[in-house]
Amino acid sequence: MSKPKVASDWLAGCAGCHMSLLDIDERILQVLELADLRATPITDLKHPDEDGVDVGILEGGINNTANEAVAKQMRSRCKYLVALGDCAVFGGVPAMRNFFTIEETLRRAYVETESTDDSGKIPDDPELCKPTNVRAVSEVVKVDLHVPGCPPDADVIFHVLAELAQGRIPEIKDEKLHWH
Amino acid sequence: MIHIKIDGKELEVPEGTTVLNAARQAGVDIPTLCDHPALEPYGGCRLCLVEVEGARTLQPACTMPAGNNMVVHTATEKVKSARKFVLSMIFSERNHFCMYCQVSGGDCELQNAAYGEDMTHWPIQPNWQPYEVDASHPYFVMDHNRCILCRRCVRACAELSGNFTLGMEERGAKTILVADLGIPLGDSSCISCGSCIQVCPTGALIDRWSAYLGKDKDTQSTQTVCIGCSVGCGIEVLSRNNNLVRVEGNWDAEVNGGVLCEVGRFLPMVEERDRVVTPMVRKDGKLKAATWEEALNTIAEKYQPLIGHANNGVAAMVSTRLPAEVLYTFKQVFADNFGSNMVTSTDEEKFATLNSVKSEVGVYEGKLTDLEEADAVMTVGIDLTKDHQVAGFFIKRAIPNGTKVIPVNYEANGMDAFTPYATKINKNADLAFVKTLSANLNNEEAAELQNKAGLETAEIDKISSILKSAEKSVLVYGADFTQPEETFRALVKLAKETNSKLVGITGKANSTAAAQYHLDKPFVMNGHQSAMIVLGDEEPTQTMIKKVENSPFLVVLSSYHSALTAKADVVLPVTTWLEQDGHYVNLDGKIQEAHKSLQSPIDVKSNLDVLELLAAKLNLELSAESLVAAEKAV
Ligand code: SF4
Ligand code: SF4
Ligand code: SF4
Ligand code: SF4
Ligand code: FES
Repeated sequence: MSKPKVASDWLAGCAGCHMSLLDIDERILQVLELADLRATPITDLKHPDEDGVDVGILEGGINNTANEAVAKQMRSRCKYLVALGDCAVFGGVPAMRNFFTIEETLRRAYVETESTDDSGKIPDDPELCKPTNVRAVSEVVKVDLHVPGCPPDADVIFHVLAELAQGRIPEIKDEKLHWH
Repeated sequence: MIHIKIDGKELEVPEGTTVLNAARQAGVDIPTLCDHPALEPYGGCRLCLVEVEGARTLQPACTMPAGNNMVVHTATEKVKSARKFVLSMIFSERNHFCMYCQVSGGDCELQNAAYGEDMTHWPIQPNWQPYEVDASHPYFVMDHNRCILCRRCVRACAELSGNFTLGMEERGAKTILVADLGIPLGDSSCISCGSCIQVCPTGALIDRWSAYLGKDKDTQSTQTVCIGCSVGCGIEVLSRNNNLVRVEGNWDAEVNGGVLCEVGRFLPMVEERDRVVTPMVRKDGKLKAATWEEALNTIAEKYQPLIGHANNGVAAMVSTRLPAEVLYTFKQVFADNFGSNMVTSTDEEKFATLNSVKSEVGVYEGKLTDLEEADAVMTVGIDLTKDHQVAGFFIKRAIPNGTKVIPVNYEANGMDAFTPYATKINKNADLAFVKTLSANLNNEEAAELQNKAGLETAEIDKISSILKSAEKSVLVYGADFTQPEETFRALVKLAKETNSKLVGITGKANSTAAAQYHLDKPFVMNGHQSAMIVLGDEEPTQTMIKKVENSPFLVVLSSYHSALTAKADVVLPVTTWLEQDGHYVNLDGKIQEAHKSLQSPIDVKSNLDVLELLAAKLNLELSAESLVAAEKAV
């Protein structure tokens, strides 16, 4: 049996979950033995294989039309989709901006911050993607496994990867279940 | 008895037992949120739903009484999916960001309940409507974003503290927790007892310190007693790395059943006085740091020749915040060995005089527990919303059950707002009032007294009819009288006439023990050559300072710097209440043991050790087992 292919990407997150993945230290070698790591933010491939991967992992929530596209592409190219970390699970820290209108958020970010001078302006290039409310990955595409945590513990990530690589559905409960 | 079967376990429970409590007895775990063992069942959150054979729908276990031959299932698929649904609804009602919530990761009952159901995510998204965060209160914060509307706080405020500050406003999705009629908590009628934060299952009500100092699982807990007053409430002191994290009421404590007042719960958290960390001896007019050896030698030198001086020797005063062991040793050193005629405690004179007549009460003596069972309570010479507050809670919380409460004062009493029977008498007229009441009960003429008390006949009539018709009346007295002995005797007479219990709510943590050791006379220097003040962590009063400041040689054992230590010739650093063990006798005469919960700073010694060191320096005889002796004596 060939090694299962795994791809990952990050959306509206802080990269912390991928950092936590690297925190599994030398166990990454075990993962590499079991799985074929394809497109990820830390490898050279930028898109999941067109002919599909077995497991897709998404970090971060969906906060603009570009995220939507990435999530949809990942979903369409993977058999099993994992939402990794609180942002992917429900929106997480970026979702705090859901308490404001998009207009307010952009103004704050590009015009009003203390470090912005008079030339501050909200980017309006038509090429740019459109910001949206921050949503859980599951609000845009179907998610097969939620791995909560901000970020999820390296041990939990290893458990998830190891189980998936061996063709099993990981159980996340008790000691492995953390929302914080 | 009722026979019930829960998840296959059969058991007998008394009639009226809820299914939840029966399940607990059977060792079957049913998750709950709005339920709290110290509060009346409420049945609001629906997390405790169970399947009862024969019932069409799932039933809340916390409110449902166990029925005979009832068969209950708590872990069926139907029950489990209902729990997940209930939790999903609760999460989606407000905004929970567990990753930066202070109670997340162990102390949140909502989060733990979700873990219990293996929930990896919320099937329904949060509300995303911002809710207010009320940070106006000095001791705690209310974050409405995390409130699950379980009403535990509302019930605790009413059922435990009798303060009725909290309530719910609006209905349905708009329901919101409010203080009074919707004003900031800091401006409300809240008395800072903290019962609400102790019962809040989530991070909605959190105290300002502990949330950031460590989760419960990271803290050390010590069960001990509050020494804020003579009620002697049981507390749990949480600490982490020798830092105080939080004080909680001990739910299992007989005296208070988990309730505390501001003094017990929050004042220890805002202690800001400067610690005395090294012995100090006055040299060339200035207090200078010294070694223990130097300081003790300085005292010993002065004191050796004063041994045996009844007059003209050492006048000694000890704090009634200190354990019985310290009081007893103190007495041995200065009364038994020095033979001084001025060996007493820091208690106010009035309380001391009251002690001398206290034995006259006989069978009418009541206890704190009588307050809870009373159907009429009259308080004289005390405002139980200012001190001994937990005793006040016992009275206030009984009011909704029909207990008639008559606070008698010459000025405003915090209790007035809770009862229609608040009674205002003239200043210093407590004795006249009690006597008028007696006369009225006996149909005697007492116009002059009544005039002095400043009450209308109708008012007196009303009070006597309440006391007469009550089946279990209690008279509560404080120490705020001008003629303590006479007033006390008049109260004893009134208790006999109305068949009431008489409960004295006075004194500091160990006043009762101090009185038993006869450490209760008014302090005067009266020609003594030295004043020895074993102050512990008590804050000296102006009166105390005035009395001793001119003493030729002033020794103070104190945990904190104060105007008194500044005047001393020798200051010895001693432990605070949290740093020492020992026994306390509360106002009911109940002996309780306090346990050390924090380590003292390096150069600080316990009050007891210092007295013993001093005795050794002076070659004094102390009974070898002074601790045992102290226990026997109280
Ligand atoms: S109150 Fe509980 S559930 Fe809500 S954010 Fe805090 S930890 Fe999470
Ligand atoms: S601290 Fe006490 S009085 Fe204040 S709201 Fe909470 S329970 Fe009520
Ligand atoms: S503040 Fe806490 S105790 Fe009060 S209703 Fe909200 S969640 Fe319940
Ligand atoms: S009533 Fe007295 S013993 Fe109880 S918490 Fe308050 S100060 Fe402490
Ligand atoms: S615990 Fe029973 S309804 Fe809330």
